[in-house]
Amino acid sequence: MQMNTLCRRSVLGMLLSVTAMPLAAQDRPVVATDNYPLAYFADRLGGGAVDTVFLVPAGTDPSFWRPGIADISEIQSADVIALNGAGFSTWPTKASLPRSRTIDTSAGFGDRLIRTDTVTHSHGEGGEHSHAATASYTWLDFALAQEQVKVLADAMARQMPDNAASIARERDVLLADLDALDTRAMVLSDQPGAGPVIASHPRYHYFAAAYDLEITALEWDATEDPTDAQWATLETMIADTGARHFIWEAEPSAAAQRRMSALGLTDVVFSPLANTPSEGSFIDRMRGALDALESAFQEN
Amino acid sequence: MNAFFLAFAYLRYHWARSLVLVLVTALILSVPLISQVLLNGSQTALTERAAQTPLVLGRRGSQLDLAMNALYFSDDRAEPVTMADADVIWDSGLGLPIPLNTAFETNGARIIGTSLEYFDFRGLELAEGRQMALLGEALLGAKVADRLGLGPGDTVVSAPQNLFDLDGVYPLELNIVGILAPTGTADDEGVFVDVKTSWVIAGIGHGHDGVLDEAATPGEIVASASIVEFNRITQDNIDSFHFHGDPGDYPVSAILVAPNDARAATILRGRYLDAENPVQLIVPKEVIGELVGRIFRIKALLDAVTLIIGGAALAAVALAVFLTYRLRDGEIRTAFKIGARRGMILRLLAAETFIILCTAGAIAFGITFAVQSNGSTIVAWLLAT
Repeated sequence: MQMNTLCRRSVLGMLLSVTAMPLAAQDRPVVATDNYPLAYFADRLGGGAVDTVFLVPAGTDPSFWRPGIADISEIQSADVIALNGAGFSTWPTKASLPRSRTIDTSAGFGDRLIRTDTVTHSHGEGGEHSHAATASYTWLDFALAQEQVKVLADAMARQMPDNAASIARERDVLLADLDALDTRAMVLSDQPGAGPVIASHPRYHYFAAAYDLEITALEWDATEDPTDAQWATLETMIADTGARHFIWEAEPSAAAQRRMSALGLTDVVFSPLANTPSEGSFIDRMRGALDALESAFQEN
Repeated sequence: MNAFFLAFAYLRYHWARSLVLVLVTALILSVPLISQVLLNGSQTALTERAAQTPLVLGRRGSQLDLAMNALYFSDDRAEPVTMADADVIWDSGLGLPIPLNTAFETNGARIIGTSLEYFDFRGLELAEGRQMALLGEALLGAKVADRLGLGPGDTVVSAPQNLFDLDGVYPLELNIVGILAPTGTADDEGVFVDVKTSWVIAGIGHGHDGVLDEAATPGEIVASASIVEFNRITQDNIDSFHFHGDPGDYPVSAILVAPNDARAATILRGRYLDAENPVQLIVPKEVIGELVGRIFRIKALLDAVTLIIGGAALAAVALAVFLTYRLRDGEIRTAFKIGARRGMILRLLAAETFIILCTAGAIAFGITFAVQSNGSTIVAWLLAT
């Protein structure tokens, strides 16, 4: 009997903490995310009944965005705080977030994350240690994106029980859309002209791994035209890899595109969509990028 | 009226003797009242807070130490458990784990590293400022803020654990961003930080200037020998802060567990019954209930002792008063000879006694009221030490 009272109190406390306080601040449930794909997924899952908070300004890389105090306060009050994980953004490790409402959408497939560079050094009393880097654009493997959607949908249904049925319906539709993208991407490597690809930035680890593509990356700034030294590096890379296709992370200048053609490369723009696109949705833009890649592979 | 005037004049003339009598009587009256107030306050504080805390996870050992540390942030700390133990609770889906890292102090107040859920769990509200948002930010309990005279915008520095351990934990400056509203509980005496900030104080996380030695050749990684770790977290250096090791190994003193329901609580308790398991899950209400039972057995003894000592002291005061009257035998005879009736003399002596008792009673009431007004603070201090 005492235990029942005890637990009723604790459950009441949890309910107050989990639901009452955030709901007191706003009428509709809120999902905060640290990148655009998750914001898009949350928006789709919410089906118009959920507000999505994605505070990274346009033109800013969400991986390097640092929220202000007001931003963190807004995120803290969300019903669900969906993080991409895989080291995508570092600000959550320095911010106070409520664990009961925060989810790492890639935690469930930690064994499938792709390790990249590792820096080893030593200082202090801990001896030598390593900072392992992890490729973080997980959603470019559309099967992993589906896993992230499932985790997000579960968290939203748990925190928004009134909307659980509609979230489940929207999840199935969204998973079907992502599955279609996955199926589509699977056949890219079967195209007659498919071969080594060079990318302007190292964003495509998961895309390459999932769809059996060989993508070598440069470190070009998406907002600036490449320098002569960078063009020289590209020429060396073409010679080394035999690549005939090039992926731009963002729309290049006309001059850069002309020079790319002069080098004999077929280029396509494939934005990884970490931040909100100026037009189109995640599914539309990804479908467009796959179309462009398929066309490029068919031409050569 | 004349009797009171004369009695007051007499007491004022013999002010030293009167003062001693008043103070002794006041103390005799106030001691049992104060002990009653503090014991009742302790019982309420102990049982209420324990009842509001369904389960506590900690290192196997003294259940009382674990409960006192997790509930009242007492000095008695068991060996820490790890965040992996909290993750086990979280992954079970049976309850919400709330970590508590109480290993550090600042300005005589306990630093409590925890998660945001703690404030909802305890129903703590902000009286001033805002909720903590970043590493290095702190919220002060109401009494700590009052005692230190600090508010949002001020800073406190964590105390080093060992003055002579130059390679150990170094002080970290904490930015105060809010003050909690008073609750009359141990939370009023705490300095709250994010559990990650407590790990920075512990040295598990840190920030520093560039690691690489400028003299290193390309491709070679050589750490500079002159790396200086930051002892305050600012907007300029927060990006350099990072943590080392497996997050599952990070220490916490105890973990409050809010089970989803009674069934979940029972299942969880069953999982930690094995005496070989280095981690135990306790029900604070049961542990504190035993303590309160002991306190009240001691209280009954204390009441008897107080009664005996109080009776003896009152007898001593009565004897002192009687002896005073004997000393004043000549004075009483003179009063009788100049015409004062026996009844008048008795009224005079009764008035003196009445004034002394009333003054002593007022002082005893004042002392008891003062103790009662600060009862929560005194009780919190008693429970924390």
